[in-house]
Amino acid sequence: MHDLDAVLALSRWQFAVTALYHFLFVPLTLGMTFLLAAMETVYVTTGRQIYRDMAQFWGKLFGINFALGVATGLTMEFQFGTNWSQYSSFVGDVFGAPLAIEGLMAFFLESTFVGLMFFGWDRMSRGKHLLVTYMVALGSNLSALWILIGNGFMQSPHGAVFDPATMRMELTSFSNLIFNHDAQAKFVHTSIAGYVTAAVFVAGISGWYMLHRRHMELAKRSFRMAVLFGVFASVGVISLGDALGFIDGTREPAKLVAMEAMWHTEQPPVAFNLIAFPSQKQQRNLYALRIPGLLTPLVTRTMDTVIPGADEVEKQAMERMRNGIPAVLALKTLSADPSDSGALAEFRKHQKDMGYALLLERYAPDLAAATPHDFRKAARDVIPDVAIVFWSFRVMVVAGFALLFYLGVATVCSLNNRVQDRRWLLKIAPWFIPVPYLACEAGWLVAEMGRQPWTVYGLLPTWLSVSTQSVGSMVFSLTGFVLIYSVFIVVEMYLMLKFIRRGPDNHVAAPLAH
Amino acid sequence: MIVLRMLLYSIITLVILVLVILLGQKGAWYFAWVLGTVMMVLIAAAGAALLDTQEESGRKQ
Repeated sequence: MHDLDAVLALSRWQFAVTALYHFLFVPLTLGMTFLLAAMETVYVTTGRQIYRDMAQFWGKLFGINFALGVATGLTMEFQFGTNWSQYSSFVGDVFGAPLAIEGLMAFFLESTFVGLMFFGWDRMSRGKHLLVTYMVALGSNLSALWILIGNGFMQSPHGAVFDPATMRMELTSFSNLIFNHDAQAKFVHTSIAGYVTAAVFVAGISGWYMLHRRHMELAKRSFRMAVLFGVFASVGVISLGDALGFIDGTREPAKLVAMEAMWHTEQPPVAFNLIAFPSQKQQRNLYALRIPGLLTPLVTRTMDTVIPGADEVEKQAMERMRNGIPAVLALKTLSADPSDSGALAEFRKHQKDMGYALLLERYAPDLAAATPHDFRKAARDVIPDVAIVFWSFRVMVVAGFALLFYLGVATVCSLNNRVQDRRWLLKIAPWFIPVPYLACEAGWLVAEMGRQPWTVYGLLPTWLSVSTQSVGSMVFSLTGFVLIYSVFIVVEMYLMLKFIRRGPDNHVAAPLAH
Repeated sequence: MIVLRMLLYSIITLVILVLVILLGQKGAWYFAWVLGTVMMVLIAAAGAALLDTQEESGRKQ
């Protein structure tokens, strides 16, 4: 493997590994903060001590998770500079603002209030402490919002244009950046997926307590609140997933091709591949179990809209590469002489397809001499790794519906106030804890692997975004991250299990404070 | 005190109205998140209050 290819692959692996590790901690933080706020709201309004005990006990588990989430998140921001400097240079003017605001939200709003939340129980009035807990919940979710606004731009770039004079993207509309449809749907989908994660986590541990007849009053109330919170959240997360699929299908046709393993454009309504074994090399499915006519209404909301398959997406990409070549050639002229008005006019004419020509440049450094073979190879790159995206998407969807079913059943049992007698439910509750994590990780694989070969869809190819690191330093840092983060996971699991086994401190059965 | 409370509620109402107008126009999903989150928190809290009532009436019977 050539050094550039090796560095590119290692940089992608490093970001993927650190992001997936980090995202083991994020969803619980996003959801647990609002669940804690709900528990504390009941404490403040009813004055019952047990709700304070609940908020403090679950708050302790949240604290362990929060600390490790912050620690794993820090390195990700540095990677933009160390490993993805070309990307940072290209979109820094756009991406920098949301990233900076995220830093302010996470490290000022959230982290400041989290200290008050942990240590302020006996130092503040109930109302003030409740306000602090809500601020922590808002801070954690708003910090996710800004990251997802940045990610929304990468998936569907809006609110910025490329300036040939500075050779980078420049922000034209902050409002378009924030209200990007992809960012909106992705934020709500991700945030609510966090609510489901927290609900299943609390319900699982509460179920385990009830199974062992420990802390019954606390566990019953925690279970009730968690499953009610979670069942509505899981309906929301599925609805938003559908909305996000619709948006991605319109704006990122190659991602849709990968999600549905659609190699060929077919007459609508197209069948839905329930199960398929895609072969990227042969550009076909080795086996597919199909439901006739289901995909078209699912992704287009009509019965007769044509959904482009991989063949059509590749054909369009080749046309755009041809159209983009004059833009890249004009850009090279402009970099030598920025006052060349002819080159500027030529660039403006072909600007929208510049990214596709940059994709071709990987195989044809001299674009003017690109061969049909180079075009075909670059066009093949436009389709992401279908097997990974296709199966990750199905894992996420199956997990989402399984959680909705589980939380629905658990809600009915809890509302009947018979949950403590449903031993089968209490036994399976802890086993459901990993399911939302699996769904969240799979969701990120769909989003990020599905965007390849771009870092900014249609504008900047991944191969051009990477820094000029050495293979040795990349191997060293990747190994270091994997080792350190694995230690973090072990520490988290150890602390969580220790505090769960110990249970809530000084708990007494539901006395009235008044 | 009543005037202050009135002022506070008026400010909250104003903020909500501005949010509805701004988010309703361009950020429908953001608005849905605000509404949905408030609803989920309140439903979870109501569920806990309902459990207290169920336990209370169970003890009385």
